[in-house]
Amino acid sequence: MKKVAFKTLGCRLNQYETDALASQFQDKGYKLVQFDEAADVYVINSCTVTHQSDHKSRNFINQANRRNKDSVLVVTGCMANNAKEELENREEINYVVENDQKTSVFSLVDAHFKGEIVHPSKLNTDLFSYGATDKGFHTRSMIKIQDGCDNFCTFCIIPSVRGRAASRPIQDILKNIRDVISQGAKEIVITGVNIGRYDFEGYKFDDLIEQILDLDGDFRLRISSIEPDGFGAKFLGLLNHPKMTPHLHLCLQSGSESVLLQMRRMYTVKRFKEIVQVIRAKNPDFNITSDIIIGFPDESEEDFSATCDVIKELNFGHVHTFKYSVRKGTRAERMPNQIDERIKTNRSEILRDLSEETKLNYRKSFIGYYQSVLVEKIDGEIAGGYGEHYIPVQFTGKEIQKNHFYQVKITGIENGSDPILIGELV
Amino acid sequence: MRSHKVIEIRNLTSSTYVIRMEKNDFTFTTGQYITLGFTGSIDRREYSIYSSENDDFLEVLIKEVESGLVSKKLKRCKSGDYLDVDGPFGHFSLEESEIDKKKFLFIATGTGISPIHSFAKTHPEMNYQILHGVRIEEEAYEKQTYPNGKYILCTSREKTGDYHGRVTDYLLKNPIPSDTVCYLCGNCHMIYEAYDILEKQGITLGPIHTEVYF
Repeated sequence: MKKVAFKTLGCRLNQYETDALASQFQDKGYKLVQFDEAADVYVINSCTVTHQSDHKSRNFINQANRRNKDSVLVVTGCMANNAKEELENREEINYVVENDQKTSVFSLVDAHFKGEIVHPSKLNTDLFSYGATDKGFHTRSMIKIQDGCDNFCTFCIIPSVRGRAASRPIQDILKNIRDVISQGAKEIVITGVNIGRYDFEGYKFDDLIEQILDLDGDFRLRISSIEPDGFGAKFLGLLNHPKMTPHLHLCLQSGSESVLLQMRRMYTVKRFKEIVQVIRAKNPDFNITSDIIIGFPDESEEDFSATCDVIKELNFGHVHTFKYSVRKGTRAERMPNQIDERIKTNRSEILRDLSEETKLNYRKSFIGYYQSVLVEKIDGEIAGGYGEHYIPVQFTGKEIQKNHFYQVKITGIENGSDPILIGELV
Repeated sequence: MRSHKVIEIRNLTSSTYVIRMEKNDFTFTTGQYITLGFTGSIDRREYSIYSSENDDFLEVLIKEVESGLVSKKLKRCKSGDYLDVDGPFGHFSLEESEIDKKKFLFIATGTGISPIHSFAKTHPEMNYQILHGVRIEEEAYEKQTYPNGKYILCTSREKTGDYHGRVTDYLLKNPIPSDTVCYLCGNCHMIYEAYDILEKQGITLGPIHTEVYF
């Protein structure tokens, strides 16, 4: 039996696509092994959103090659689009597969072992024709609803590597979700590049979410990362639906109005705060997590300070901070007043400390309350998973099963950068 | 990406010009932008569309940037050359339901007048006023194309405009009725300041109402 190993970098959409590819390989008779084991096939689903993600992707390519020089090494994902020529010139990489041909990774590898050559024109370019993800790496079932982005934020390379916004037909999405629910999925995670811009034959994002929530079955719905400009009052109303999880990853990027304008973001800090207030007015412990870019060109101390203030004020459950890095071909590449790397590092440290403090305070507020935990890991009698607020929870119990919900009373919290809630089974 | 044949270059000042191209089957919503570059070149820049949705040609208004790469090259292009057009992009657009009902104020600085020109030309029946901020009168690009009384020129470096000063000064001295729909296009500082002034005057601005020019 041939062995296949995967490494996924970056966003949830990449994670979904890897899950689908991993399931397809296993359905065709491959054995899935860990990336640090010897395999016949390595697939690296890369990311190129920052310099650091490029660096990590290159690192994993080297690791795979060191592990088995005779393996078939496939590099796909956003870096495959953005640095195609560089990657194609590396002898150890057998295939560089751009995002729009990612669904063809298995057929390329299969043909390779059969000694056939697949002409690039024969590769599938349907962005939504991934198969089931049931043998993937996640208990939660990710569902792709959309790909690409038309926002063209000045810092972002993604529209160039993922292409223009495209929405998956609504009936396909609903069928996909019905199928995974009937196969036992308990948590559905909506994924895409810019999901709030979903638009298929007049059905907007909130229409789609409403229809998903109306589906029968014992499941809960999680919205992954969403831009603050992609929805209105109808969607905010749906956040109180019993099947909807109280968590949104709402990308802020900066707490300075002036920086947001220069980033060409489609919202203001004021609007962002209004959204958070509306959500928390109905559900005060609603978990709002976010992304912040540090050191965007011309970001002053005052701008940075405004960002810190917003983080303190909005009580985020988690803030993912990125140091701004120039992406070739973006508008921000040509902006004056690029920020010195040492200043970015210094600001990153300040923001990371602030973020960890805020996160700890937010999570501590759950002590004494209950979470419905979807178990993802079991080690002896210790079970781990995520509660509805998307906070990691650990508890002990006998005969606990993966992919089942358990009511847990939170009794404490562990220390660390990602503090886990400790609970007791109810 | 589509290749469009250049019809003509129209110089408006020594540094600002309009490129008119064949439209072919290109469609867009007034207010959107395209990216433009020479066929085969990787160097491309974003330009708002200057022409109307209904014109049978496609135009962009370009200011040559002193240290720029693409704007200098594009200025030298000739009738018959081919340019690659990608797009249309952007969400800076009029709400269809408001066009024949509301009063609009379009505020622009410099070549930020480009999408406003497209708005006005696409919907001439619209009830609108343009407030255009420039340094000198020469930069009032093709102001004769707007009907009388629709265009107010604010010049900051000379007294030749309808108002001497920045558009933000004009807004402070001439408050806008709160039922006006405002669109802002131009440099970041103008948008940032005008946004604040308009909000204080009771005007609500959404994300589709601003377009930053760099």
